[in-house]
Amino acid sequence: MKTDVTLKIAGAAGQGIQTIGDLLSEVCHQSGLFIFSVDDFESRVRGGHNFNLLRISDKELAAPGNRLDILVCINENAYDLHKEELRSGGIAIVNAEKPGTRNKTRFEIPLKKLAEEAGNKITANTVAAGAVLAILGTPFTLLADVLKNRFAAKGEKIATLNVAAAKKGFDAAKDLSRNTGFTWEAKKSHNIVLSGAQAAALGALAADCRFFPFYPMSPATGVISNVIPYTEKLCVVVEQAEDEIAAVMMAIGASFAGVRAMTATSGGGFCLMTEGLGLAAMTETPLVIVNAQRPGPATGLPTRTGQADLLFSIHASQDEFPRFVFAPGTPVETYETMKRAFHLAEKYQVPAIVLLDQFLANSRVTEKNSLTVAPDIERFYEQNNSGNDDTPYLRYALAQDGVSPQRLPCSGPGLVRVTGNEHDPEGHISENAANKIAMTQKRAAKLPAMIKEMDPPLLVNPTARVLLVGWGSTRGNILEAVERLGDQSMEIGAVLFKDLWPMDRKAIGKVLDNKQLIMVEQNESSQLGRLLAQEAGIVSFDTILKYDGRPFFPDYIVQKAKELVK
Amino acid sequence: MITSKEFNCNYENKWCPGCGNFQILAAMKNAFAQQQIPPEKLTLISGIGQAGKTPHFLKCNMFHGLHGRALPLATGTKIANNDLTVVVNCGDGDCYGEGGNHFLAAIRRNIDMTLLVHNNQIYGLTKGQASPTSSLGMVTKLQNSGTPSSQFSALVIALAAGAGFVARGLSAESGHLTELIVKAMNYKGFALVDILQPCVSFNKINTLSWYKERAYKLADTDHDPRDLAKAFNLAQEWEKSLPLGVLYEAAGTPFHERVPNLKANALASHNYDSKLLTDVLLQNL
Ligand SMILES: Cc1ncc(C[n+]2csc(CCOP(=O)(O)OP(=O)(O)O)c2C)c(N)n1
Ligand code: SF4
Ligand SMILES: [Mg+2]
Repeated sequence: MKTDVTLKIAGAAGQGIQTIGDLLSEVCHQSGLFIFSVDDFESRVRGGHNFNLLRISDKELAAPGNRLDILVCINENAYDLHKEELRSGGIAIVNAEKPGTRNKTRFEIPLKKLAEEAGNKITANTVAAGAVLAILGTPFTLLADVLKNRFAAKGEKIATLNVAAAKKGFDAAKDLSRNTGFTWEAKKSHNIVLSGAQAAALGALAADCRFFPFYPMSPATGVISNVIPYTEKLCVVVEQAEDEIAAVMMAIGASFAGVRAMTATSGGGFCLMTEGLGLAAMTETPLVIVNAQRPGPATGLPTRTGQADLLFSIHASQDEFPRFVFAPGTPVETYETMKRAFHLAEKYQVPAIVLLDQFLANSRVTEKNSLTVAPDIERFYEQNNSGNDDTPYLRYALAQDGVSPQRLPCSGPGLVRVTGNEHDPEGHISENAANKIAMTQKRAAKLPAMIKEMDPPLLVNPTARVLLVGWGSTRGNILEAVERLGDQSMEIGAVLFKDLWPMDRKAIGKVLDNKQLIMVEQNESSQLGRLLAQEAGIVSFDTILKYDGRPFFPDYIVQKAKELVK
Repeated sequence: MITSKEFNCNYENKWCPGCGNFQILAAMKNAFAQQQIPPEKLTLISGIGQAGKTPHFLKCNMFHGLHGRALPLATGTKIANNDLTVVVNCGDGDCYGEGGNHFLAAIRRNIDMTLLVHNNQIYGLTKGQASPTSSLGMVTKLQNSGTPSSQFSALVIALAAGAGFVARGLSAESGHLTELIVKAMNYKGFALVDILQPCVSFNKINTLSWYKERAYKLADTDHDPRDLAKAFNLAQEWEKSLPLGVLYEAAGTPFHERVPNLKANALASHNYDSKLLTDVLLQNL
């Protein structure tokens, strides 16, 4: 019995594609099912072509679905574009002016007309959700309960209207109902549905981040907008800066004053922030930046996904300095990574960059709810701020491990002096050659301990001769591909990086030694492959690369891997 | 009793002898002493340039940042901890050129801090290129046929952007400048003091005598600083006369009173509250 269903809801921007997807997701979640929901949209507010790709299963899902069981077309164009993606036995629900074709593969349904019958044409999306759930064999009460809950705040009239609309759609499609193998019943689950953007916001808040200066840029805006609902109950401030340079400077200024702060942006904004990265490094001020990647130099493809900022993030800003670069693979991991990023940035007084991408930021995924808030939070500022002319506080004391004690301005007689110029231990400008060497070495001395903080990559069948190697959001796709290849008796393992920089060269070199490596990345030049060649001494690797701005699917990796395995 | 000597520090000064910056530094120390703010309660934030170096030359907490970026740095610091007394030192190139967008945004935010612009109408530290406030046609080594852009009038722009405190000082009028700095620091909101500052090494046109010949004090006139229209007119005086003093002052609502979460207490003052975070973040997921 099949318990893994994929549907696509497609139409123009502004037609409520996401509303339908969200409703269906919510009903599934309330029934204890797992979803993997991906939005595909253009950089426009009305028109064009958008879709929501929703995969539903009774088991945890690592990746989006591909072949469609149900295609919901809000316009005829959507049908033409996607009909080939239907698997045999799949059905297309097509919005029409009036009832029309109605067979096992194409079902025309007048959404607007039914909505009007229910009381208002604006409920057309609810009609569509009703029809889909009827086909999936969902009892109507589950949908009715979700609707009542969702529209409770808007008053009973609106709630009743939507339930009536849902019923219209449900009844119209009832006889097309199929057995999907799901057990449909309201269940309290220990799972959560989160997007990467939402998880990043929650993780930052859980890390006691209180200030979020930012400049809007897809797909990073979602990280900050997910903070907004909490600004009422938590004492945090979101400030839209005049540009990304200001955003990063504000975060640094706040951090200097002892308040955890972060900013989020995408590649273009991250370009502007690079001088801030250097300033944080030189002044040794903790800083957390989320770079939610999108493809292309310059403006590129604003609403699409990619992974081409890895090497840029590791090297951004002039000269050399230690930094952390992380790339979580799932929303829950994003939450944990954000907490660690704040902790480690402060512990080592360095910048920490968290790489997301559009796919991870916007996809909503069901995972086990393992989110926690720490009972206490470790802060690294020295409380006792003494100091006088004879024994001044030395902000940049030449500590063995490179980490000089950090104090807050105006917290005592010790004067806190920081500067982006090269400086002496007291924080005054210094052009002394020996001092320059000492300070460079002091900053670099943090690296051994920073490397020890890094989690090793996730290893799957590490003894296999062939390893798929990836980082960040491609994790789930690679995991599923490895599983499917295993089902086809191919012995393939995976090495999946979450903590990218700094890198434990030796440990990683050992894992990769003597294997056929296939890099699976969303960029054109295999940036992780090149990094591993540089750091871990790997000599050659094969690649499965995708840089069309769209996410991977397990099928694609399976097919390509089969061609490559020697 | 805090005297201005309290702010002396023995870090070697790096300005040219005769530079107007020395008098600005003296006026700052006097202003802080007059208000009885000890060095440890003072946070100076600066950009890059000769002006940007100022915080190194006195006792204070300081963040000497990047060229053009002092204002957003200071903004972040004040949003984090509004209890800090923040004074910003910038050059004219620093603040009106590289940081021009931040200048406009800072005025609009109205963060409660004081901006001192050491306006020498030249790029001092980089050895004498034209700045936004250089007069049209000013010849420099780089602009050897005269700077082709017309002069940026910071005071006019500040007024137009809605600044609530706009003043002009002259470095050589150190007592007057001290008064202006004190007034600016007491203003509840963003206060701009544009300080005419002779650069003896590179600006051979706008010299101390050039300024002195034209400068007059608004306090000696019947100017009412609440009169915005008049302030606009004064801000446009340049070639023939240079008004010194407070051109415009009007009460406004500072940033921390506009933002709900900053109204009561400084962000930095709250304790980490695990229970609250758990309830708010995790309970309704
Ligand atoms: C991003 C950046 N660009 C350029 C410089 C070089 N630079 C240093 S100071 C300065 C201009 C100084 O002029 P001004 O801001 O008027 O300050 P002054 O030295 O006159 O006080 C420039 C261009 C720099 N440090 N950083
Ligand atoms: S170059 Fe000009 S502004 Fe700089 S210190 Fe010398 S005189 Fe002063
Ligand atoms: Mg200057």
